[in-house]
Amino acid sequence: MSERDDEELRERFAALRREHTIAAPVFRDTMAAARSRPHPPRPPRPPRPRRGRRLGFAAGAALLLVALVLILTVRNRHRTTVDLASVRVHAPTDFLLQLPGADLLRTMPRLGRVSFDRRTL
Amino acid sequence: MSSPAVALEVELERVHPAAFGWALACCGGDRTAAEDTLQASYLKVLDGRARFDRRASFRTWFFAVVRRTAAEQRRRNALWRLWPLSWLGGAVDGRPDPAVALAQSETTRRLVAALARLPRRQREVLYLVFYQDMSIAEAAEVAGISVGTARTHYERGKAALKQRLEGERE
Repeated sequence: MSERDDEELRERFAALRREHTIAAPVFRDTMAAARSRPHPPRPPRPPRPRRGRRLGFAAGAALLLVALVLILTVRNRHRTTVDLASVRVHAPTDFLLQLPGADLLRTMPRLGRVSFDRRTL
Repeated sequence: MSSPAVALEVELERVHPAAFGWALACCGGDRTAAEDTLQASYLKVLDGRARFDRRASFRTWFFAVVRRTAAEQRRRNALWRLWPLSWLGGAVDGRPDPAVALAQSETTRRLVAALARLPRRQREVLYLVFYQDMSIAEAAEVAGISVGTARTHYERGKAALKQRLEGERE
């Protein structure tokens, strides 16, 4: 569409605007009519939470926090730690792994004395 | 009356003729409906239901208020027509006012008739750009659509309007 067409449209709309301006109601009359219309009721505001209720929420939250802290600390106090280095596990089949003369290997030899386990002889 | 209220009224008086034209466009040329829409819009501004937040120009903001008010009244009238006793009340029928039509010249009558056959959005954007001398961005703000959408409506509406006006001329 060319600019000439746009210009023609603008002229047509301008003519329409002039006609509407002449036919427009007087501002004061429209304003007076608007003021005389019944005002629609404003929508009710949502109720604001009361101060007491807000305090209650704050106290409840604080109590919850204290309870949480207590629970966590008590749990930690009763926790038992297992020292894995000191644990010896005894299986029912341990005797199968005992070799003859194993005691001899564990004892400290004494000078001038010979000790034999008779079972090993 | 307080100073902000006076300032508001001065602004309303300044845009009043253009606002009436816009209300007529929103109400399909029905003068009674346009006056009703304009009064309801003024009332909204006066009692604070519509507040000017200075994000746009006063005219752009107020035209958006008029457009919304006209849409509300259109919906109300549509509901009223569904009501079984609506024939008692003489509801607005949405057709152009005979008095307005009589005062129009042949050229503008043809323009109004061609505009009436366009989709609402296209008609609104064309009115705002050509009648109210708004930019497409301002028209988009009034119509509550994006600038891209307004540009599409503008181009399509302008082509369709030109075609219809030429068709009538031949």
